[in-house]
Amino acid sequence: MSLLPKEALDYIGIQTKFEFACDVVEKGAVRRYAQGIMDADPIYDLPCEENNLYGGPVSPLIFPTHMFRTAFGGQDPIQRNAFNSDADGSEGVSTIQGLPDIAPLKHLSVMNGGSTFEFYRYAKHGEKIKVQSRYADIYEKKAKEGYIIIVVTISDYFTDEEELLLSVRRTQIRR
Amino acid sequence: MQHLYFDDITVNQEVPNLIKGPLTTMHIMRWSSAMENWHRIHYDLPFAVNHDKLPGVLINGTLKQQFIIQLLKDWIKPNGWIWKVNFQFRSMSIAGETLVTWGRVESKTITKEYGLINLNLGIKNKKNEETSPGTAVVAIPFRNGPTLPYPFKPPIYLTNDQVA
Repeated sequence: MSLLPKEALDYIGIQTKFEFACDVVEKGAVRRYAQGIMDADPIYDLPCEENNLYGGPVSPLIFPTHMFRTAFGGQDPIQRNAFNSDADGSEGVSTIQGLPDIAPLKHLSVMNGGSTFEFYRYAKHGEKIKVQSRYADIYEKKAKEGYIIIVVTISDYFTDEEELLLSVRRTQIRR
Repeated sequence: MQHLYFDDITVNQEVPNLIKGPLTTMHIMRWSSAMENWHRIHYDLPFAVNHDKLPGVLINGTLKQQFIIQLLKDWIKPNGWIWKVNFQFRSMSIAGETLVTWGRVESKTITKEYGLINLNLGIKNKKNEETSPGTAVVAIPFRNGPTLPYPFKPPIYLTNDQVA
């Protein structure tokens, strides 16, 4: 049975304004991130020969995409959902970088279907990062276990000096 | 540190595998915290199994994608650049699994400024099942050529002199 309500298609083309990450690229955040991915490359730590070309210590290439989180004093999605046993914790994750939740799909679970990245340069420690995102496509597909909905978004990440860091095309599966 | 040059790379050459694991719930929790992702399918076993009907706690796709980047970065550093990476998450990876990220040179392309290496890649589980097939394009300097532009500038045009 089809899952895709027509109202969801109205979200295609919606684009955000530029949104700034609440923090700059912080050394401690980069450390936790690099330890999380188990990549102790010295380019992420202190100035060294290996990061000289990049102008000093940098973050992992995908790090800027994970900088857009709840700002200090912002609404707390965890507390808001504390009494909702169906809340899956994806609020703030499914809302990709400032894009509004797709209300007609809100009852469906979210899974990461894959991505296409294009990289231009590393983000350096101390840099401020901004992003602009849009819903590129929303469509339905028949899978082994029934119908699934594919949501495609594109996000471009820049420094606040308008230098393009990377562009990401993400595929979300809603089922 | 040894430098990799376009001239030295051959079609069908394999990139050294990157092996991670076994990836426990502690790895998943550490990663989820580092990126502030509170999606319960990554740490709440009863929710993952009973509510979302999953076979267990899932290893984050966002963690798996990092392994692909690390594989390529470590292969081409310090003088290459990862330009494009594309992958799908075809099957789930469950806590406890060991993942092997692999890559193989599919073809080489010459541009005016540098060489491009096109790769097939993926992440296999312990049953040797492909969970995340994908492709990548990395830029590598010629042995006697200039260093790559940084920030990276995509090629203006491709020559007809495609090697493979």
